Amino acid sequence: MKRRTFVSGSVALAAGALAAPAIAATIKPYSWDLNPPMDSRENFIAWGKARGEDPVFLGQRWDRFQALIKNKDIWGQATMRAFLLTPREEFSAISPAIAKRAYEHAFLDIGYGVTMSGPHVQGRMTNVIDVKRGEKVLEIGTGSGVQSAYIANLTENAYTIEIIAPLAQRTRGLYDKLIDKGYTEFKHIKAKTADGFYGWEEAGPFDKIIVTCGIDHVPPPLLQQLKSGGLMVIPVGPPGAQRVLKVTKTQAADGSITTSREDIYGGKIVPFVPFTKLEGDKIVGTHNR
Amino acid sequence: MSITVDLDHRPPLAFYLSVGLVAGSIIALQIGIMRVFSVGSWAHFGSLVVSLAMFGFGLTSAVMCVGKSWFERHWIGSVKGALLAFGPLMVVCNLAAQQVPFNAIFLISDPMQKWRLFANFVLYFLPFLAGALYLGVIFLKAQKTFNRVYFADLVGSGLCGLTVLLAMYAWRPDDLIMAPLLLWLAGGILWFVALGDRRGTAAIVVVAILSAAVHHLAPQLLSVPKLAVSDYKGVSYARKFPDAVRVYERASPFGYIEVYSSSYLHFAPGQSDNAAFNLKKMPSNAYLGLYIDSEGPAGIIKDLPADETAYFKYLPMYYPYLLKKDPKTFVVQFGGGISTAVALKSGSSQVTVAEGNPALLTAFREDKFLRDFTGDILNNPKVNVVDYDGRLYVAHTKNRYDVIDLSLADSAGLSSPGGFSIVEKYSYSREAMSAYMRALTPGGVLSVTLWNKEEPPKSVLKLYATMAAAARDVDGGKDIAQKFYVVSSYLSTATVLYKRDGFSPAEIELLNAHTKAMSFDEIYYPGFKVDTADLKQILQDYRDQFFFAGQAVDPTAPAETEPNDKPPPGVSTGGAPGATEAKVDGPPPAPVVPATVLGRLAWHYLLEGGWQKVADEYVFDTRILTNHQPYFAAYIKVPDLLKFTDRLELVQDEWGYLLLWATLGIATVFALTLVLFPVVFGWRTIFSRYPGKAGTMLYFLCLGLGYIIVEVGMISHFILALSNATVSASVLITGMLVFSGMGSFFSERFLDRARSFMPKVFLAIFAILATYAFTIDYALDWIGTLPYALRILLCLLIVFPPAFLMGFPMPTAMTMLGRLGKDHMFLWAWGINGCFSVIGAALVPIVATSFGLPAVVLVGAFAYLIALPAFFSVIMPLQPRATGGARSAVA
Repeated sequence: MKRRTFVSGSVALAAGALAAPAIAATIKPYSWDLNPPMDSRENFIAWGKARGEDPVFLGQRWDRFQALIKNKDIWGQATMRAFLLTPREEFSAISPAIAKRAYEHAFLDIGYGVTMSGPHVQGRMTNVIDVKRGEKVLEIGTGSGVQSAYIANLTENAYTIEIIAPLAQRTRGLYDKLIDKGYTEFKHIKAKTADGFYGWEEAGPFDKIIVTCGIDHVPPPLLQQLKSGGLMVIPVGPPGAQRVLKVTKTQAADGSITTSREDIYGGKIVPFVPFTKLEGDKIVGTHNR
Repeated sequence: MSITVDLDHRPPLAFYLSVGLVAGSIIALQIGIMRVFSVGSWAHFGSLVVSLAMFGFGLTSAVMCVGKSWFERHWIGSVKGALLAFGPLMVVCNLAAQQVPFNAIFLISDPMQKWRLFANFVLYFLPFLAGALYLGVIFLKAQKTFNRVYFADLVGSGLCGLTVLLAMYAWRPDDLIMAPLLLWLAGGILWFVALGDRRGTAAIVVVAILSAAVHHLAPQLLSVPKLAVSDYKGVSYARKFPDAVRVYERASPFGYIEVYSSSYLHFAPGQSDNAAFNLKKMPSNAYLGLYIDSEGPAGIIKDLPADETAYFKYLPMYYPYLLKKDPKTFVVQFGGGISTAVALKSGSSQVTVAEGNPALLTAFREDKFLRDFTGDILNNPKVNVVDYDGRLYVAHTKNRYDVIDLSLADSAGLSSPGGFSIVEKYSYSREAMSAYMRALTPGGVLSVTLWNKEEPPKSVLKLYATMAAAARDVDGGKDIAQKFYVVSSYLSTATVLYKRDGFSPAEIELLNAHTKAMSFDEIYYPGFKVDTADLKQILQDYRDQFFFAGQAVDPTAPAETEPNDKPPPGVSTGGAPGATEAKVDGPPPAPVVPATVLGRLAWHYLLEGGWQKVADEYVFDTRILTNHQPYFAAYIKVPDLLKFTDRLELVQDEWGYLLLWATLGIATVFALTLVLFPVVFGWRTIFSRYPGKAGTMLYFLCLGLGYIIVEVGMISHFILALSNATVSASVLITGMLVFSGMGSFFSERFLDRARSFMPKVFLAIFAILATYAFTIDYALDWIGTLPYALRILLCLLIVFPPAFLMGFPMPTAMTMLGRLGKDHMFLWAWGINGCFSVIGAALVPIVATSFGLPAVVLVGAFAYLIALPAFFSVIMPLQPRATGGARSAVA
């Protein structure tokens, strides 16, 4: 299975590379009515293939999707749909070393000292902030672009800021390339290169804010740009062993504003369940055994 | 070529100097590689690579043992080849290793990383192999005068260790390899001079010039890094900021210090979220980032007008100034200066600030840019500077302070990709805390703030337990419940206040109001009530977080015991978008998180009794920090080690500790393989006539383990007095090796009565080390308050007695083997000693974290005691070739 994946993946990549200079819309454009089947692997792959995507990566996406559900990393219909519609492989394709690893349960090195978080963490983060269509979501730390890609499937108003200029340009270029290819949902993403500490005042206030960079305090401008009742999530800790901090902003009747901090599971300690390795469509053991 | 050197009898001085310099070059290379790893990636991986590279000695010994006669025939060529290869190999291999950097954080998730680590190991192994071959062949040829050669080896290593320390002022870490290269060149030239080999002399000079040229020119020509700094080191991020400018740079043994200026740097460690809604403005362009060995940043705060420093009130380190007006303040560690700035802006009438890193004091006192930026903070008339560790000053001063501050002395945060190495944190030990508490005025307040970014909590629980224990020491075991006030902010910081004469109700009210205004969590105050019913479940849940064996829980499903449990945060409850924006009447109750509850429970049991039982049941080790175990590390309980092997990604911040175990495991397998290889290979041939094989192996095993364990263990111990790991390592390496070298030289005169004399030496070593194990920290504590040069001198004086005596056993036994004609065993013994040195070095931090530093020195002491009876196996004479013959006499 691994070898076949490798070979077809390589072929797909080579084909992609050859086709790169003249990108035509090869993917059926996005619409809010797109609903990938969730009943079976075959149906999903057939559906995705009809949309114009690579069946090998579609299979991997489905398998990881099953693992995410089994691990309860995603549970909402909208997030499930977002996961199934997001081509992670396009984001990992920026580096040959990780091109074929988009659906592994692992954080990947994308250069510049930045990692692309694993699908389980991103699934949890996305589901837990429960973005409604129309809500404004700000992401600090664009990185690989995948997190905003999920958000783009949930709302038309995704904003993302990256501090490292060459990385920001690379990811913006990738969005544009993917839009040309037919992934028009990425038009929902407004990206800029700036110091995320100051947020995006002109675009605020935001319903949800995701901060994905190391900080020694929550930047006051971000809290100011967060709507009352809004929430901010911040992964804390080393990659791979992150806990996600949730900060909620509340305004009392007297106008006073307070914040509260908690774990994203609201006081529940989530037991460790060995993460999964996929063999075919079977989930076995832990990924590093 | 004429050979004028007679190694068996009177080798010339140039020969001894050559041995000393080349041996010194090997030590210098070790230190140089460690510095490269510290700056480029992570120091503990440097330790791993260097430790394993030292198996070059084991491999050389094994090969030479088997091929002894070949090496005897070709010894000149072997030495020449090894010498000519050593220099170029160190340069080329170092440069090549920089092109295959491995990244610790991907070690598990990326299969390629372990191959990169392996490549680093192989590359750094090669120069050590060449160095070991040079020494091995010389030892083989000079075995009858081994004491003197060993003297040259040890003294050369020791003095060159000190030379490298000085070289760190001259060269940045990326060029530090020039130090071993020059030492090698000098040693090489002297070798060829000793042999009268002019062509050899010319050859080594040419090779050295070429090597230096490769080091300096190849990176430019090939556009490759001379020292690859990981993208994940703090300084790499600063370098990517568009407006980043390096405003200060200085290399020294106290670290490679860089300071960057950028508008993208923001520091307000642990600042309350409420600052956002209550402050008019946060200052901009007000910070510099301080990086030591690429780690950081620690914030350097600009001298700002009062309206721009209003945010100080929102920092956790502000707490003591709520209670104390115009205090006399003591700041335990200057760092980047934020605590000092807060103390001054909060009305301190006088601030005494200590800093144990002289390079930092030099930077802030002498660099014009930094002086201007900080308002020349260290020369402020209100500021007194103590130029050694705060904990040492406080322990011996008669001055008393209204506020003592120890806040966030560890740069930006506790979470570091790649894991933490085991670093001594003496400033947080029970003894240090007691000293701070005793140095308070009657109404004085000690304020300790630590990062609280771990979930499950680890460091903060150690801090809480340590401070409670220290308070009991100070207050004679009396009730201390009135004396603490504790707050934390989830996944941010925790602050413990200790007031010498206890908090009054009015003070508690004032502090509680501030805590509420900051939206911090109250963890403990006198009169605080906590529901202990939650404890059992929390302990079980935290254990389950790592070792749950059942089905995954559904976060959306209400728990059985909580029928009305809310869905996970963020999940819609069916309302329209924006429904969550509804304003509530008054602030809602703060959410409760298990880590916070556990903190409260910890204080309950620490003050009321019963903490030990809780700690036993908690998933991580939370033993207090003492001068014997000063570690915020090694949280995984030893019985749980194996259980974590399939879930390493969950404890990534423990990798530094786990790596020690991995190193020990790998080192043991390697060592045994190398040691047993000649035995298996030559059991019926080369070893057949040698009696006392097991005893001999035990003897050299004990020496290998014992020597390095004492050396490395004392390096950790001596940081108590010397305040800096690099200086402590250099002083100990130099002191131990030079004094042992003298012992080795001196031991020659006792060779003829070794049988009666050596037992006394072993007993003396045991007695001195056993005494040191339990008393040395008192002496070091006092020495630490003296001027730095005097400190080094006194430390050397302490090292002298054991080190001198520890120089006897190895050369005495080796010379005896040589004189008894046990040539193969001579080489084998050298290998055993080398291999078990590697194991010993790996064992030290494990014993230290598990049982404490005195236990380390004691293990060393017992190793020498066990070596005593084994010595008699070493001096067993060779069995005659023909059976039935008389035993040959001892030479």
